[in-house]
Amino acid sequence: MTQNKKIEVKKQAYLVNDEQADAIRQLMKSKSKLFFNIMGSIGAGKTLLLERLAEKLSPHYNVFVINGDVATTIDADRIAARGATTVQINTGGGCHLNANLIQKELDKINIDDYDIFFAENVGNLICPSAWDVGAQLNIVVVSITEGEYVIKKHPIIFKGADIAVINKCDLDGLGFDSDTLVEDAEKIKSGMEVICTSAKTYLGLETLIEALGIELP
Amino acid sequence: MHEYSLASAIVDQIKNIALEHNASKVKTITVSADPYEMVIPDLLQDAFKIITNELELFKDSILNMMILPAEVICIDCDYKGEPAVDGDEEFAYNFKCAKCGSRDTHLNIRHLTIETVDLEIPE
Repeated sequence: MTQNKKIEVKKQAYLVNDEQADAIRQLMKSKSKLFFNIMGSIGAGKTLLLERLAEKLSPHYNVFVINGDVATTIDADRIAARGATTVQINTGGGCHLNANLIQKELDKINIDDYDIFFAENVGNLICPSAWDVGAQLNIVVVSITEGEYVIKKHPIIFKGADIAVINKCDLDGLGFDSDTLVEDAEKIKSGMEVICTSAKTYLGLETLIEALGIELP
Repeated sequence: MHEYSLASAIVDQIKNIALEHNASKVKTITVSADPYEMVIPDLLQDAFKIITNELELFKDSILNMMILPAEVICIDCDYKGEPAVDGDEEFAYNFKCAKCGSRDTHLNIRHLTIETVDLEIPE
């Protein structure tokens, strides 16, 4: 004999991930560490931007970067060559990082050995926006070569972001236009900081570092 | 395709609830989602079937999905509720405030939530 029972759950599907993400955020805060989640599509320039950040920050701070990619350690190797400590997560078929993947990497290190943490999410403008990794700020990088409609076509990730970085602005006027993307980013989420950069030429890098709340001596 | 991750998260939570109640079968799971939650219902169903395919506890389980009305928060007047119309000409998700008409609104996305689960429990 069996009986049927309806249980009221009222819990988010993301609950376990979100609780783990909050725990990471609290841990980082309690230890006065900074943790940033860098999202953006494939080829937006996230890795080169992180190389530049590593160059600028590593002489003054211990920087730890967690790279998410389907395969290879190319990105982690590139950033490590610029002075940061890096680890590569290969997600296989996974299209985003999550709090559990981040926690597993943090468990392997002594957090006190580092000052600033970055996660370079898997190249994707959709899935990473739904999965909290425990960062204090979410940054979306979009490049002007991705087309003038890229922000309009991916509104959710921008609505959830704290900073929008419009990258490859050195190509402005060479058949590409940053103005539309800057305008769209400013319109799509009021109050979001929008920064034009060129990771290639270092344009806007100091503004970005300032927006992240990092002081350079 | 993060529906697989979501379906996994749902199944993990339901497994724990079933264990707590000594359930022998999970009959129906009802979840709710915001219309602008990035979930494709058919893909979520497919992922759910793939994950539960060989789990006896979930044999013949049904996943019901309720889509909630959209909700916005107006930056100008603090209105919180359904938008006046869907989107604007330029930005798909910049909804018009139903109270003051401003387009400066933020989507208040209610994330995918497990509402109820119907369990079969041996007496």
